[in-house]
Amino acid sequence: MEDAQRFHDFMQRIEAGEKIESTDWMPKEYRDLLIKQIHMHGISEIMGAYPEKEWVTKAPTIRRKLALNAKVQDEIGHGQMLLRLAEDLSRPYGRGREELMDDVLDGRVKFHNVFHLEAPTWADAGVIGFMVDGGAIITQAMLLESSYAPYARMLKRIVAEESFHMQHGESVVLALAEGTEAQRRMLQDAIARWWPAMMYFFGPREMGPSSKKMMEYKIRTMTNEQLRQKFINRYVPRIRALGMVIPDPNLYQDPDDHVWHYTDPDWNWFNEVVHHNTGPMSQARLALRRQAHTEQRWVREAAFQAGQVLQNQGA
Amino acid sequence: MNPQEIPVYEVFVQADALSFPTHVGSLRAASPAFALQLAKETFCRREDAHDVWVVPSQAISRARRDATAALPTTTSDKRYRLPSGYDNAPHWKRFKAQAMTIEEVAADMRTKGR
Repeated sequence: MEDAQRFHDFMQRIEAGEKIESTDWMPKEYRDLLIKQIHMHGISEIMGAYPEKEWVTKAPTIRRKLALNAKVQDEIGHGQMLLRLAEDLSRPYGRGREELMDDVLDGRVKFHNVFHLEAPTWADAGVIGFMVDGGAIITQAMLLESSYAPYARMLKRIVAEESFHMQHGESVVLALAEGTEAQRRMLQDAIARWWPAMMYFFGPREMGPSSKKMMEYKIRTMTNEQLRQKFINRYVPRIRALGMVIPDPNLYQDPDDHVWHYTDPDWNWFNEVVHHNTGPMSQARLALRRQAHTEQRWVREAAFQAGQVLQNQGA
Repeated sequence: MNPQEIPVYEVFVQADALSFPTHVGSLRAASPAFALQLAKETFCRREDAHDVWVVPSQAISRARRDATAALPTTTSDKRYRLPSGYDNAPHWKRFKAQAMTIEEVAADMRTKGR
């Protein structure tokens, strides 16, 4: 079949709301956009475990330690599930797990801006669960409608587990909000630290060409600004109910069209951080990743060799 | 196994595009193509299926049959891993705000407006 005809048929399937499988024919552009999105998502899950892992040993009670540890396990698990999807899509390019993991160390794949930042207090650990996971859930809930079936299926599972992250983050935040003056101050400082990062999290007001293409292919169904508005609308009243202040004097909801107005984050600074890994914690966290990936490569290789031997013995 | 015996395939049926394939049973067939045909006749006579997988039984390793594999267990208290392990609603109420559930967020994301 002619490529033009194939493309036409493919787009008709997309328009009709059909779901695409990894083994279906797909335009190269669709494949490349999916790899970009899912690879970045998977790597972000893994890099997101680092700021939280710092707090496992320092969490105030055994129950909080257990919960945070469970969350770290979930994030690494999500990273692994998503990387499998990116690997299937990357097969025509001859790129597998090792290459996709190397990419983050070599700066060929970005990860979310929030995971380049410091988490200096216990309140940060709570606010990451409350606001960062909250933002991620909004994005992921939108992606449940994605045209790429393996991604939508996996997200159903991921979102179900994120439900615990959300409740856990809120539980930590609520405990601090109900606590002493010092605890409330710690919470207030953490919210102030993370707010601008959350405004950046959903991407620029005017979407780039690849994000627009992702909407045409129904890989995603909402604009950056729609997602950001959903987040603000959900979180501003809750943060204010706790008696906390959001550090944005321009934040208000237009009473007529209900659109939230906000101060733009420092787009240039955050762009620099995600594109060149220049955030306060970027290099330290990449060093941990490098240590896990390169220094333990021999373990993966030895396990593989041993598996081969056992398989040959069994045959 | 007797080499003359027709091999066993495990059958997995995927109900719709957004569901995971679920194991429904097994059958004997001489080839994967034959197994797929038989699977349709045996397990999908009434319901539509989005897809059907057949996997040679021998290719499957089961945790229960492997003395060294650890089975997932729920003997210890795992409430800290579950959303139901956190009762945030009364705390939100104290701040005159409502508790939020993931189902509600997911429903909200299916509507374009605020």
